[in-house]
Amino acid sequence: MNSFFYQTLYQVKQAYLSLQQKPGFVFSVVTTLGITLGALLCVLTLAYVMLIKPLPYPDQDRLYRVEHQLISNENKVDGRAFTYPNLMHLYKNQTTFSESVLSYFDAAVLTSSTDEPMVTISFVTPQWFDIFATKMALGRPFESSEQVNTYNPVAILSYQTWQAEFAGKDNILDEKIKFSGKSYRVIGVTAQQNIELPLAGPGYKTQIYVPWDFNPTSDKQRLAWGNDYSGLSFIGKIKPELAATFSATQMNQTLTNLVNDNWQNQVASEEFFKGWGIRLEVSTLKSFIVADGEKSVYLLILGALGLVLIACTNIANLFVSRTAERQQQLAIRAAVGASKAQLFRTIMAEIGIIMLLSIVVAQIFTFIGFSILTYYLGDFLPRIDELNLNSFSVIASIGLLVLLTFFFSHLCRKMINYRSLNSTLQSSGKGSGIQVSKKVRNILISSQIAIATSLVFINIVLYKDANALVEQPLGYETENIMAVVLSLANIERDSRAQKLTELKLKLNNVPKIIDVSQGMRPSIFSTTALTDDATTKRYTASGKDVDERYFEMINQVIIEGDNFSAADIKDDNRVAIINDVFAQLVSPNGSAIGMKFNNGLRVIGVVKSIHIPGREYVAARFYMPASLARNMLLIKLKPGQELSRTELITSLKEVSPSLSLFSFSSLTDYKNERLFAPMTTAITTVVLAILTLFLSGLGLYGILSYSSQMRRFEIGTRLAIGAKGKDIVTLVFRDNSGAMVSGIIISLLVLLGLYLGFRDSLIEYVSIELIPLYMMTLALITLISLFACYMPLRQYINKPAIHSLRGSD
Amino acid sequence: MSQAILEMKNISKVFETEELETHALKGISFSVNKGDYVSISGPSGCGKSTLLSIMGLLDVSTGGEYLIEGINVTDLTLDQAAEVRNAKIGFIFQSFNLIDELSVFDNVALPLRYHSDKPSNQVIKERVTACLEKVALSHRISHKPNQLSGGQQQRVAIARALVAEPAVLLVDEPTGNLDSKSGDLVMEVLEKLNESGTTICMVTHDPRYADMAKTKIQLLDGTILQAPKAKLAG
Repeated sequence: MNSFFYQTLYQVKQAYLSLQQKPGFVFSVVTTLGITLGALLCVLTLAYVMLIKPLPYPDQDRLYRVEHQLISNENKVDGRAFTYPNLMHLYKNQTTFSESVLSYFDAAVLTSSTDEPMVTISFVTPQWFDIFATKMALGRPFESSEQVNTYNPVAILSYQTWQAEFAGKDNILDEKIKFSGKSYRVIGVTAQQNIELPLAGPGYKTQIYVPWDFNPTSDKQRLAWGNDYSGLSFIGKIKPELAATFSATQMNQTLTNLVNDNWQNQVASEEFFKGWGIRLEVSTLKSFIVADGEKSVYLLILGALGLVLIACTNIANLFVSRTAERQQQLAIRAAVGASKAQLFRTIMAEIGIIMLLSIVVAQIFTFIGFSILTYYLGDFLPRIDELNLNSFSVIASIGLLVLLTFFFSHLCRKMINYRSLNSTLQSSGKGSGIQVSKKVRNILISSQIAIATSLVFINIVLYKDANALVEQPLGYETENIMAVVLSLANIERDSRAQKLTELKLKLNNVPKIIDVSQGMRPSIFSTTALTDDATTKRYTASGKDVDERYFEMINQVIIEGDNFSAADIKDDNRVAIINDVFAQLVSPNGSAIGMKFNNGLRVIGVVKSIHIPGREYVAARFYMPASLARNMLLIKLKPGQELSRTELITSLKEVSPSLSLFSFSSLTDYKNERLFAPMTTAITTVVLAILTLFLSGLGLYGILSYSSQMRRFEIGTRLAIGAKGKDIVTLVFRDNSGAMVSGIIISLLVLLGLYLGFRDSLIEYVSIELIPLYMMTLALITLISLFACYMPLRQYINKPAIHSLRGSD
Repeated sequence: MSQAILEMKNISKVFETEELETHALKGISFSVNKGDYVSISGPSGCGKSTLLSIMGLLDVSTGGEYLIEGINVTDLTLDQAAEVRNAKIGFIFQSFNLIDELSVFDNVALPLRYHSDKPSNQVIKERVTACLEKVALSHRISHKPNQLSGGQQQRVAIARALVAEPAVLLVDEPTGNLDSKSGDLVMEVLEKLNESGTTICMVTHDPRYADMAKTKIQLLDGTILQAPKAKLAG
């Protein structure tokens, strides 16, 4: 044991000294592997955090989120959000969960602060703090005194809000804060180390917690059995005795029966809901949080894995050359008595050192990768802020270190013909004790082509998809238009219309402003059911309210009929403008003008559809006159002009000190924000495709160059007996075509396997257009392969044949 | 009057590196006639292999003029040189230079595959068989080179050199990698070929085999030490 240890130590020392003579070689391998393994470790850790790592809450495997589905009489899911009464019925009457929490996520202007910041507010029941094991830095969590229907106006601040908005002052408890026209007494501050999951979507962090009773659902909405609201959420912890025996299907059935039976009784008198129903579906909290992020993670793993495989193939070439270079040295070791196993350990010591260095460098790139992912994808992927070098990344690194060391050592050992090695010295160094077999060379070529073809093709498909979204014309203008949301909570309901009319007049008098329209951002709609008065046929459409200036301001074209008049807005007339998709749906063969819905809502115009940035699908849409009290404005500025937040707040305060600015952003910024994901995908796929082509090109050149070197005398002999340059090129192309075709077939099988394995996720990408894209990819890879075949041959075919033959004797 | 197949006029070859200029051949002139059996010998480094490379258009001279069958081949392009090599010259190398992956038949047929006339498979088969019979190896037609002895491999190389019916065989140390018995057998084959009219030009450092030639050229430091003394065939 002792002798083995000293021998190993000696070999490691020798390997270290040997590598010191080859800084270029070490740099190439360590850099290539370090970067690609860093990327792989980064996305593997991300996958671990998102898909495997338990949620940081007690009994996390017992936590479920309940989804409420409104099922139409055609048995289609019409909505996926709770109606308020159904949610409360479930909360009060369910017996499946030992604890359950209601939550509603919103934002409001903190009017008690002088700079009136917008803050995120979570309206929750007291169980929130127990289920999510929330620790407190100050004060207490919500208790029975904040239970449903207690209406106790208290609030809890998050640690970050306490620091940022209140400078972490010690006597924050019992201080009053105010938003949406109501004051709340601060009773606690959450601890810094709490981990809040993004239940309201990636990137969402609660700044202030308020008891459930104060959620902004209106009194009317709280009694509406047929209207669903997307902000409502239900999370429950299944009873321990049910956790082991109750399947998800049983849970769904029990909860559906509980809610649907009651709902049917409640809406029995309404003709509209005849044949409709409610279905409840549970999903583990973990799977709900991951949601679509899973697909992104698999794509990232695929990309990183592909790069690592290409890098490994290239590095295999480098090790092959390195081993060939060490032939003499290994032969001397063999001559003085080194056994095969000892030679293997000599090689492994050197490779082990390089792999260790690569893994260390990979850790640095992993860390950089975490920062990049957190910065760029924090708002798109959940739990990304939990990324760090953890036990998983350490174990994965050690695993990769061992795997790669053995793989490359084995590859190099396979090159060595021990018997020939022994005779190498006797034949004045002209022996061939170390060679890569043709089979291994062909495997390397095939794998390079298979990986490169698959990766480049996948990247092209993703790029095409993402770029189509980025380049898609929106059908409306975003330049120089600002979207404003006001908080009217402190203004009496009756005077809101007057104040807003005053504000519009004031803003219209600002020289840099061209126009002001009352209406929300073009891309925001809410879903509503409409019934055709003539046929009683029901439609589900996305609707919004706008004023008479809206369409002209955003340059959305009215293709038939009229725009709203000022009188329509003032008198709140029951008129509507629909988009061409809805018009085609309700009146496929004629004009939709004059059609009436919901007892008299008359269609007066048809507009060309717009696209929501980043979304391909266009829904049936309708527009109705906005109330003069609408708290959302669009402001169009003169080209090159800017309107600051301060300037706008000054105008607001001049109209009324109670007017508050809730949000203020440009349509262009919003568009760019919405297009960030497809834009990132487009850029990433282009970079990955180029990197793949570059790496595979290098790899193929390396293998084919080695192949040509191995065939040097054969090429020389062929030239000597009359072969021309083109004969040699044709011969080499033909000889490598088998490996190239194998690579292409493997890539097809890989793509087919991916499709079969992830059919549900990939079906949206599959179309007939993929065939020319695949052919294009093949042409590109083939061209690179042929180029890689030709380049190493130039040194033989462009010189007199004697250059190839020299040394053959 | 004998017909000159190869004519070398004042051929020189200089190898240049950044620091050194080596004159491998210095104004070599001689000719090889049809049916000749010429041996080129001399000590190591005297330029005999360089001379043979230039004669076989494997390399180009730095100066002088070289004619094959009266045609100046000094300044041919690489492809033109390949065509001339294929049609006019047969090579036999010291280390045989057979292609391991090809059978004996395919090795011998190789020059015909590159021939500008593109002979049919039938013609190729007939000519390969005939050449292998000449070297007494027709029974080994399907074997791979590594299944043959050194002497047999060199005889396959001879058959390959003959198959395109070249004007001259250029032979480089044909016995260098063989034991004396196999070497003698190969020399016997070459002698018989010359007797049947094949022109041979052979580089050797073995005086025994050099003496078997009708014409002997001795090189020293890139120059001909002993002027060729024609021994007419027959």
